[in-house]
Amino acid sequence: MASEEAKEYVLPPEVLEETMKASEELWKPVRKIKFRIYKYNPRKDYAPYWEEHELEVSRGMTVLDALLIIKGEADHSLGLRYSCRMGLCGSCAMMINGKQMLACQTRVLEAAGSGDVVELRPLDNFPVERDLAADFTSFFEKHRAVKPWIIRNDDVELNNPTGPYKQTVDEYARYYQFTDCIKCGACLSACPTAATDYEYLGPQALAQAYRYIVDTRDNGLDVRISVVDTEHGCWRCHFAASCSDVCPRGVDPAQGIQLLKKLLIKRKFGFKPHKPAEALPAKVKAEKKG
Amino acid sequence: MRESTIMFLHYVTAILIVITGLIHLLANNDPVIGATIKANPVLYLGNMAIFLAALLYHAFNGVRVILIEMVPDRCWTKWISWAILIVGIVTYAVGLQVLMVALGFA
Repeated sequence: MASEEAKEYVLPPEVLEETMKASEELWKPVRKIKFRIYKYNPRKDYAPYWEEHELEVSRGMTVLDALLIIKGEADHSLGLRYSCRMGLCGSCAMMINGKQMLACQTRVLEAAGSGDVVELRPLDNFPVERDLAADFTSFFEKHRAVKPWIIRNDDVELNNPTGPYKQTVDEYARYYQFTDCIKCGACLSACPTAATDYEYLGPQALAQAYRYIVDTRDNGLDVRISVVDTEHGCWRCHFAASCSDVCPRGVDPAQGIQLLKKLLIKRKFGFKPHKPAEALPAKVKAEKKG
Repeated sequence: MRESTIMFLHYVTAILIVITGLIHLLANNDPVIGATIKANPVLYLGNMAIFLAALLYHAFNGVRVILIEMVPDRCWTKWISWAILIVGIVTYAVGLQVLMVALGFA
């Protein structure tokens, strides 16, 4: 009986053959693409230069795949940063044909379009670490400056928790999209303010500040205000919205910054970002279950 | 002063510019409304004083923002803000004097 049920899920040979053919088709070289890669080692080189490599690419090949082939076969010294290869870690963000993209999520043919050149360089508005790897020191310093964690005042509850904090779906929805940030740096790289004002906190840090301020479990508004409500804080955003345009995760940092501005103005008239979340005692939980 | 207060005043002055500027334009371009407005010179002077203050605040704050972004060093940021404030106050004092002379108050 079990084997009969299992048989129903086995693909017919002709379908299997077709699937295999399609898969082969996806990885078959279809076009020659020229990769123009930015090369610069600040510790060694006097000035940046470009290196060109030609590669036969398939339909499914991503820019990261191509870069790893180039690194393995043509230029072992090529510096790049990558990790998960599935658009989750944000390590491989770089300028692909002039736009901030994740190398692991961008197909070569999609980037090349009708042309046959793919230009790769490190993210704008970041110092170069080496070749395609940008230096994220200042980026993470700014991220840390907004205290991206839940700040609570109830030490007794924190030390002896009685249960989880209450949070409705609507309250969660207020900040949900900002939790998707993978800190790839694409937003800061696209920001026109960050291009001139290197002290500017940037879309990533400001959107994260908003994310924690509106979290009902958080009481850290007053602590964060000294960081975000400054000359180089949220008021320097001119709402070009290029950060939202390039975000590979579909987060809208520009909206977060505008909401943060609104929140700071409303605070002047006595409005609070949210009611403080209460702890949901374990006892109540048990009763509900019962 | 917090940056949010400065920027809030920036938005408020933008609205004030529209209102007081409209009164100023009407006073000088519409004969009927102009005569009514100019019939009370003290109020008209008050309108012009607010218009000038709002205009200078909005303009100089705009310049301050541009300079802060172009010279982001934190030490310079303070100097820029103070320098702009002093220039703004002096310009307002001169402007107010010109207005008073022009409207026959001095």
